[in-house]
Amino acid sequence: MAGSTALETEAAPLERAPAIGRVSDPRRASWLVLVVFLAPALVIYLGLTAYPAFRTIFDSLFTIEGSERSYVGLANYRDLLGDETFWIAVRNTFVWAFVAPILDVATGLLLALALYAGIPFSRFFRVAWFTPVLLSYVVVAILWMWIYNYDWGVVNEGLRAAGLDALTRSWLGDPNTALAALIVTHAWKWAGFNMVVCLAAIHALPSEVLEAAELDNCGWGAKLRYVIVPMLRPTLLNLYVLAFIGKMKVFDLVWIMTGGGPLWATETVSTYVYKRAFNWNTFDLGYPSAIATVWFGVVCAAVIVLNRVFKSRDRLEY
Amino acid sequence: MRSAGTGMAAVFAWSLLAAGTAAAAEPVQITMWSNWPDEPAKKDWVAARVRDFEAANKQCAVKLSFIPKADIYTQAKSAVRTGQAPDVFYLEPDQPEFLTGGFLEPLDGHVDLAKLEDWAKPAWTYKGKVYGLPVEAYTVELYYNKDLVKKVGVEVPLSFQLTQSGFADLVRKGAAAGITPVSQGVGDRPFPGGLLLFESLLRKLGTEDYGKLLNGTLSFKDPRVVEVMTWLKGLVDAGAYPKSFATLKLGESHYYFYQKPGSLTFPDPSWFTGRAFASPESGGMPTSFPLGIMQFPAMDEGKCPTCKTLAVAGSFVMYARGKNKACAGALLESMATVGNGDKWTEQVSLQTGLKSDPSKINSSHADYFAELNARNTGATYFFGTPLMYYRGKCAETYTQVINNALPAGLIGVGEAADKMDAACRKGS
Repeated sequence: MAGSTALETEAAPLERAPAIGRVSDPRRASWLVLVVFLAPALVIYLGLTAYPAFRTIFDSLFTIEGSERSYVGLANYRDLLGDETFWIAVRNTFVWAFVAPILDVATGLLLALALYAGIPFSRFFRVAWFTPVLLSYVVVAILWMWIYNYDWGVVNEGLRAAGLDALTRSWLGDPNTALAALIVTHAWKWAGFNMVVCLAAIHALPSEVLEAAELDNCGWGAKLRYVIVPMLRPTLLNLYVLAFIGKMKVFDLVWIMTGGGPLWATETVSTYVYKRAFNWNTFDLGYPSAIATVWFGVVCAAVIVLNRVFKSRDRLEY
Repeated sequence: MRSAGTGMAAVFAWSLLAAGTAAAAEPVQITMWSNWPDEPAKKDWVAARVRDFEAANKQCAVKLSFIPKADIYTQAKSAVRTGQAPDVFYLEPDQPEFLTGGFLEPLDGHVDLAKLEDWAKPAWTYKGKVYGLPVEAYTVELYYNKDLVKKVGVEVPLSFQLTQSGFADLVRKGAAAGITPVSQGVGDRPFPGGLLLFESLLRKLGTEDYGKLLNGTLSFKDPRVVEVMTWLKGLVDAGAYPKSFATLKLGESHYYFYQKPGSLTFPDPSWFTGRAFASPESGGMPTSFPLGIMQFPAMDEGKCPTCKTLAVAGSFVMYARGKNKACAGALLESMATVGNGDKWTEQVSLQTGLKSDPSKINSSHADYFAELNARNTGATYFFGTPLMYYRGKCAETYTQVINNALPAGLIGVGEAADKMDAACRKGS
């Protein structure tokens, strides 16, 4: 109650202040000042985000050939329902978006725990594990195309050295392994980012709780399972949602490493939109705009659903 | 007042005169995007033609950029819509959307079309007008390593054409000897995996029915097509292609053929020379390499064993909304001479759609040219490759199924035929 009393005491002079106009309140800026400060950001947002988004939705109702545009209503959306490649791309993207973040977050958490546990050369490993985050997708893609190379890639060479020749394969050329190979590559690139976030979150955990667990003779495994991971839950879920959003839009790595092949096994919605917009022997942006519009809605809906599902009802208090 | 008015008029006239003089002194600048940043011979040819043009036309200046083909296409597709495309840019006939979209300027009023080879004009003819300067032309050839082929015990006949079973025998013997029979990779190109199949289909069907297949009026389930596809599947199962086929890039498949590990054959368009005739230190073919050119195999009961694909590739087009069409047209006109055709053939060792005079061509690769000419003597040409006919979903299906999955052994003949018919067959 003492707190509320203090607040009331602070609020009282404001309520008693005479109405001498808004300008006299130092916390309120004039409209002119507001406009001056907000305008640059608003102009950039409207010009580079809002307008292109609305224009894409608008274009999805047209067929655009050269400089001619003709209104087709929802025809592009109807065609989309019967587009087999689109549904393959949707399936692949969902696999990426739902499965790969688990791998990303789990890897990041394991690496963070290794550093937290004070493994030898932890300073070196902290830098080494974070380095892939700084590399461009092009570099990562080329690197991993070498790693997966059938003839001299380290994966197949390792298998041959271990006498497992039968397991060697063209990892990116086999529809059964291509998508998994890409997901592993993506996880390798982003593991360092998840590691840094997890490490910061672990260091922010209240030391008294961890010390209490140790006093109770709690082993590493039990401490991890019953104390650390539950307390990191909000961080891990946020990382999952972030990774999910990124993977719903995945393009660069796929485009460079497989181009969506073999046999559309790695086609994602983003690569398909690009193909339809730029590799389809047509200038029509209507159909790719329809795909982009649908996918925009799907991503928004999925993020809302995930946030609701993951919403922590039991707030941790410590 | 009068004197003041006269003075003002004099100043105005003088400033106009000065501006006019400055404008006359300042050449009109046009922009040009060319492919081939990584092919020195072609790049040098283009740069030399631009230099010659600028020297002879002081009123025009050319801002020339060499950009990879894929980037030119992507950038040009955005630029033509917004009126910002270069005055002259590189294009190939497999990008017809620029033509049908009305973004290209007909060359009829700018270039003397008599200076172009008659067989090359149809590649760029649309509604009776010619839209592209066909600098680069090619035939699809089957290169082979004479020593390795002999080593596996196969004798290439005097006709330089193996039979259908003879070629299968070559593949089996190569695989048994641990030598890859066919160097080919599709890691960065949408077409190489289809070369052997479609050249064989051309010889089996003849030009008329092959044309129907490419136009979508003949089914991939036609017994003759199925027979050739089944033959190819047999080669694949026998180990015809490298295990790294799916990821091997075009440049790497060159290296695979004439450097390491080496292969018996290499189906490739005759632009093979662009990479092969680079210095061996930069990945080119060793000077002592025993290069031979054979015909693609003659199919059993094939309608046209002498058939062969001829096509136009790298060309230059004018932007229809360009602001400096006079200079742009003059540039293309200056490129279209017999002398320049000779220089292209000499420097690049590749065919051209510009008229040329073979008697004046003095190439350091004369032996290669003699063999290439010999393999083309008496040939019946079919004009255009599958990707010049296939569009949109059909082209994408060709890339995924014929270029990639079938030669990689990922798909059977029946399924491949079904997918191609579903995507390409008219009325399906």
